[in-house]
Amino acid sequence: MRPEKESCLVEVLDRILNRGVVLNADLIISVAGVPLIGLNLRAALASMETMLNYGLMESWDKSTRDWHALHGNARPLEDGETLVLKAFGYLWQEQGILSCWLPGTWYLTDKRLFLWRPEKAVFEVPLQSICLLKIDDAPSLERSEMELVHSGGSARIYIAQLETFRRTLEKAMRTTRALKA
Amino acid sequence: MEAARYLYSVASTGMAEKLGNIGIEEKPVYTVPYRDIAAVIHSCESRPYETDDERLAEEWVLEHAYVIDQATTRFGTVLPVSFDVILKGDDLAVKDWLSRNYVRLRQELERVKGKSEYSVQIFYDYDEMASRVLRDNPDLEGLKSRLEKEPKGKAYLLQRSLDMKLQDLVSSETSRLADRFCSEIKQLTEDLKVEDRRTWREERFRGKKLLASYSCLVSRDNVERLGEALENIDRLEGLSVRFTGPWSPFSFVSLEA
Repeated sequence: MRPEKESCLVEVLDRILNRGVVLNADLIISVAGVPLIGLNLRAALASMETMLNYGLMESWDKSTRDWHALHGNARPLEDGETLVLKAFGYLWQEQGILSCWLPGTWYLTDKRLFLWRPEKAVFEVPLQSICLLKIDDAPSLERSEMELVHSGGSARIYIAQLETFRRTLEKAMRTTRALKA
Repeated sequence: MEAARYLYSVASTGMAEKLGNIGIEEKPVYTVPYRDIAAVIHSCESRPYETDDERLAEEWVLEHAYVIDQATTRFGTVLPVSFDVILKGDDLAVKDWLSRNYVRLRQELERVKGKSEYSVQIFYDYDEMASRVLRDNPDLEGLKSRLEKEPKGKAYLLQRSLDMKLQDLVSSETSRLADRFCSEIKQLTEDLKVEDRRTWREERFRGKKLLASYSCLVSRDNVERLGEALENIDRLEGLSVRFTGPWSPFSFVSLEA
């Protein structure tokens, strides 16, 4: 059997948009320190992304999913957890001299908020540990960045539809508190 | 506007070369070398490529892919860069970035040298797999023949329990096969990633279920053997294999430099 050279557009897109080398954000162009790597473009190709993600649900039967769950490829959501919102975005990371915006998918569930990178969550905070959401009120071009203060520290989040995201997150936080009270 | 450079890949070459007007929107693409490695770039304005037009976005992505392919033909396996990564500054800034990350980039280039990425997807047909499992399980086969003689209500219940048992058996059979194939394929690759995030199927695989999906980093000498191993899998009853490549090693260069 010989490998087919012909590959479909979806496969090319998946590789070029989701994989490959990414540079430290200090070096790449940005608006007010915020990288703009293909955000808009990803939005333009959103239907393709959706197709890819949902294709998975349809075509994998339970046994296959179980097999993958067992064989180390973790999935983002835990049992009994409900997805509230999912959006492409970034997390600011400072590790010594290497400071960069880490791209990934933000998942807001009824229990926690986390940034999902291929195969693992890189930042995770339970909703009840979130204390404060701070958005810089400076009249910038498009406000897309916010600071999230939680019981263990704080995090800088960059997300395209920040307002929607903040409103949804605040609502989820209120619900969690109400349930606890 | 500030100078900027759009980055396609990092290649093993120490030469400053022009690759022609093959870039996004026909931009001239060239290399900026540092020692024995080089960035493949085009000069652009310091703002990202953005559009709401899906067609245009696709075109850009394909042009990006084309440059990576051309660079691979010319320089051997390259480190492919994600779409829309634009370095602030001019050629000197590119050189500076290469020099600061030289050791890591060189190491990565060495690791993928003479290798390419291939994608392997194994599909199965549920009905065929189920009938095979049925044949191998005389108990169930017996249950099935009893079904035909029972009255309607009882036959219904029996059928349900048969279906459920069959489902379990197919599920353990596919897990067993996936384990076996994974270790077979692994032996012929330098690196293997089990993919579960997304799948894509062509018309001919619609209606089939995915048994396993892998991205494989394969050295040139092993491609033929991998093809043979996959051919053997493809020949098995109820199974079909999709084998594509070679790709630039997108799934194996996760470094952030």
